Amino acid sequence: MQGDLQGEEPAEFKLSSQHLACPSCDSLIDTSELVDGDTATCPVCRGFLTKFTSDGVSRVISYATSALILLVFSCAFPFLSFKASGLESVMTLPGTAIMLYTHGMTDLALLVGAFILFIPSLIMVLLLLFYIPLKLEIASPWLVFAGRSVFALQHWCMVDVFLIGVIVSLVKIVSMATIILGISFFAYVGFAICFTLALTNTDRLQCWLAVERVAGNQF
Amino acid sequence: MKRTTAASCGMSSCHVCYKLASQSAHQCPRCGASMHQRKPGSLQRTLALLVTGCLLYIPANLLPIMITDQLGSSEPSTIIGGVVLLVQLGSIPVAGVIFIASVMVPISKFAAMYYLCWCAAKEAPSNALKMSKLYRITEFIGKWSMVDVFVVAILVALVSLGGVLVIRPGAAAMAFAGMVMVTMVAAESFDPRLLWDKMDDVNE
Repeated sequence: MQGDLQGEEPAEFKLSSQHLACPSCDSLIDTSELVDGDTATCPVCRGFLTKFTSDGVSRVISYATSALILLVFSCAFPFLSFKASGLESVMTLPGTAIMLYTHGMTDLALLVGAFILFIPSLIMVLLLLFYIPLKLEIASPWLVFAGRSVFALQHWCMVDVFLIGVIVSLVKIVSMATIILGISFFAYVGFAICFTLALTNTDRLQCWLAVERVAGNQF
Repeated sequence: MKRTTAASCGMSSCHVCYKLASQSAHQCPRCGASMHQRKPGSLQRTLALLVTGCLLYIPANLLPIMITDQLGSSEPSTIIGGVVLLVQLGSIPVAGVIFIASVMVPISKFAAMYYLCWCAAKEAPSNALKMSKLYRITEFIGKWSMVDVFVVAILVALVSLGGVLVIRPGAAAMAFAGMVMVTMVAAESFDPRLLWDKMDDVNE
């Protein structure tokens, strides 16, 4: 890399493989002295750069596995039920999208289904496909594809937003009828927690450095 | 603060894996993503998407977001109508959440993104640090506007008691979801490094 340096460089500045360009201000920052538990923040723009944890890989695998199990539970049981004037209606989690479809809003149904169920579960599966080979130090052929897909999709899951939506709608209709929280509701809350923890432990820089280590001379 | 940028060393950083590579590289040597020193056409894309988002915000507010059918009479309600109704019913906190998520967040997001684009293109930011913070907040709050769409989806799925009480989704829900998605992409296509480049140019 040294060969790429150009003449206008200050003499004391040496670019090493441990350098990182801050994604929000392009300043070069040395990340070689991070120890377990350290968080690196850009000194120029104060943006988050990376968090180094020695057991990050195992954490992501366990959170992602728990999230997937809880997601299966939250699809299998009633989410909320609603009782008014002797009538009862039960809502399931996939039902949120399916009912929009039956009311003729196919596009919105697809979006809601994708944001709360499909993309989050896809991300968890991709995280497992990405991190298990890293843990076992196997250079699996899908490693780079799975990693890139995780980072492309991570902005598009709205599990936490949906839970706030549930609370808001409960308060909206609680005066109209009796509302019963189902097993799925609690499973989904657990899913949201595990999901968020899995994603916050996924560190962009550290996981790609691990890919580089595992794939070795391939790069 | 004195700093050395990757661009001044003739390097560009991969937007997926942060790998530094020579700016002549088109593909990241580590993850294979296409590499650019700055996001290509960042300002044009952001502005185009922002205008689209603003246009979608008009039907999202004018059309009904959900329709309540109660014993044969149907009553459409808009976003603002829903907030007013909640205030009248006395649930001020929920009215606040809906008002912030569906009115304040989108409008302040439009204003912030236009301002950031204007700073990056014309006027050098007097304080790039504050601008970066503004950008990070804008990026973070983007998806929280979806709350209103989810509330509609949940109420539609939950409240369907045959002919007695049924809630149906309105056309505004789709326009609103579209607005949120378009502005999320707009925030993603804006390149905050342009603000710092502009400031460096002025200081030199």
